[in-house]
Amino acid sequence: MLLRLDKSDTRPLHEQVAAAIRRAVAEGECRAGDRLPSARDLSTALDINVNTVLRGLRELRDEGLLEFRRGRGITVAEGADGRSGLQIRVRELIAEASRLGYSRTDLIEMIRGTT
Amino acid sequence: MTNGHDPKSGRTRAALWGGAGCAAAVAALLVSLPWAAHDRLPDRLATHWSGGDTPDGSAPLWAASLFPAGVWLLIALAVSVRWRRSWPAVRPWRLIALAPLATLLVGAQASIVRANLDRTDWHEAREPALDVVLILVPAVIAGVVAWRWSTRPTPTPVTAAPELNLPEGERLVWFSRAANPWLQLTAALAGLVSVGALVALAVGLSGSAALWLVCAACGVTALAGAVFSSAQAKVSEAGLEVSFGPLGWPVRRWSPAAIESARAEHRLPSQVGGWGYRLSGLGTTVMLRAGDCLVVRPRGRRTDFAVSVDDAERGASLLNALLRRA
Repeated sequence: MLLRLDKSDTRPLHEQVAAAIRRAVAEGECRAGDRLPSARDLSTALDINVNTVLRGLRELRDEGLLEFRRGRGITVAEGADGRSGLQIRVRELIAEASRLGYSRTDLIEMIRGTT
Repeated sequence: MTNGHDPKSGRTRAALWGGAGCAAAVAALLVSLPWAAHDRLPDRLATHWSGGDTPDGSAPLWAASLFPAGVWLLIALAVSVRWRRSWPAVRPWRLIALAPLATLLVGAQASIVRANLDRTDWHEAREPALDVVLILVPAVIAGVVAWRWSTRPTPTPVTAAPELNLPEGERLVWFSRAANPWLQLTAALAGLVSVGALVALAVGLSGSAALWLVCAACGVTALAGAVFSSAQAKVSEAGLEVSFGPLGWPVRRWSPAAIESARAEHRLPSQVGGWGYRLSGLGTTVMLRAGDCLVVRPRGRRTDFAVSVDDAERGASLLNALLRRA
């Protein structure tokens, strides 16, 4: 799998790690059930502290994209590719809304109001 | 339509006839050595010594001259038969096997003739102790020369190596892995047998040396199988890193400056001589399954290093992009 990290990105590093993996999953770089490289490997390859990498991975687990399994490492969850693409678009929507002056609550209201 | 002469097939034919001529010349030398000196040899020649001064085996002159030549021709034929068309890796090993063998046989034959020279009975023949060294040293030298000669640098492929577009200010890393479940199963079974044998030895069920041997052999098989049944490859700004086994150890690393070029290649276990960590005419190959291999040519080395991992094409292209930037 190929991971891309933008060096000029100003977001916190753990978010960047999560975003890179999210993108890789959405683009089909790794399929459901595939094992991810270990956090230590990711940390050395990306030149990012291993705890920061783990924080990013935990975020993805909470989103339901990754599964942490004892003895099997970190694997891509079932149906993660579709979820991942949706997650990316939700984040884009939140960023666009905040640029236009809408809060998350406004967005939720908008989505509720949409039939 | 064209009646043109294909230079490649011409060269192959020349090499074939050259090889056959050399094999025939060695056989002729083996046959003629005793015959050339048959006036000064006894009827039966001493042909075998078991470490001591006195010989413990003999053969008539015709057998002593024909037997080594027969053995030589048989082995040369067996090694030279083209078992399969797609075996480029085997070709250099023929020479590496045959050159020391020819030296060894000719040396042994010369030594036998010398030991029997001017004796009236084969029991009087004495094997000069130094002869063993005089036979083995040239054989080793012949082997080394054949190895140096036949593992000439393989030509780099003419097709342009793929290169990934590497945007400025972006950090790209590539991960891949491959595993061979059969090797893992073999390792697990060998490990079980080894542990079983060790337990049997520990509780005193049996104390035979054979069981120790089984325990050690299975232990080594299990360890080698476990280590070389899976591989992980990683390409980052630090270069290429290939680690083996479930623990990611041992590891081989190359910095971008230490690599000349990278490419992806389709390789088969039959081309490199089987599964696992293989040394062949194609260089070093970590063969876990047939198919895509990431192949790198380390700078200043004559041969390639290859590892069979998925998605090797993009790994090679990222590595090439990093090499150009370095």
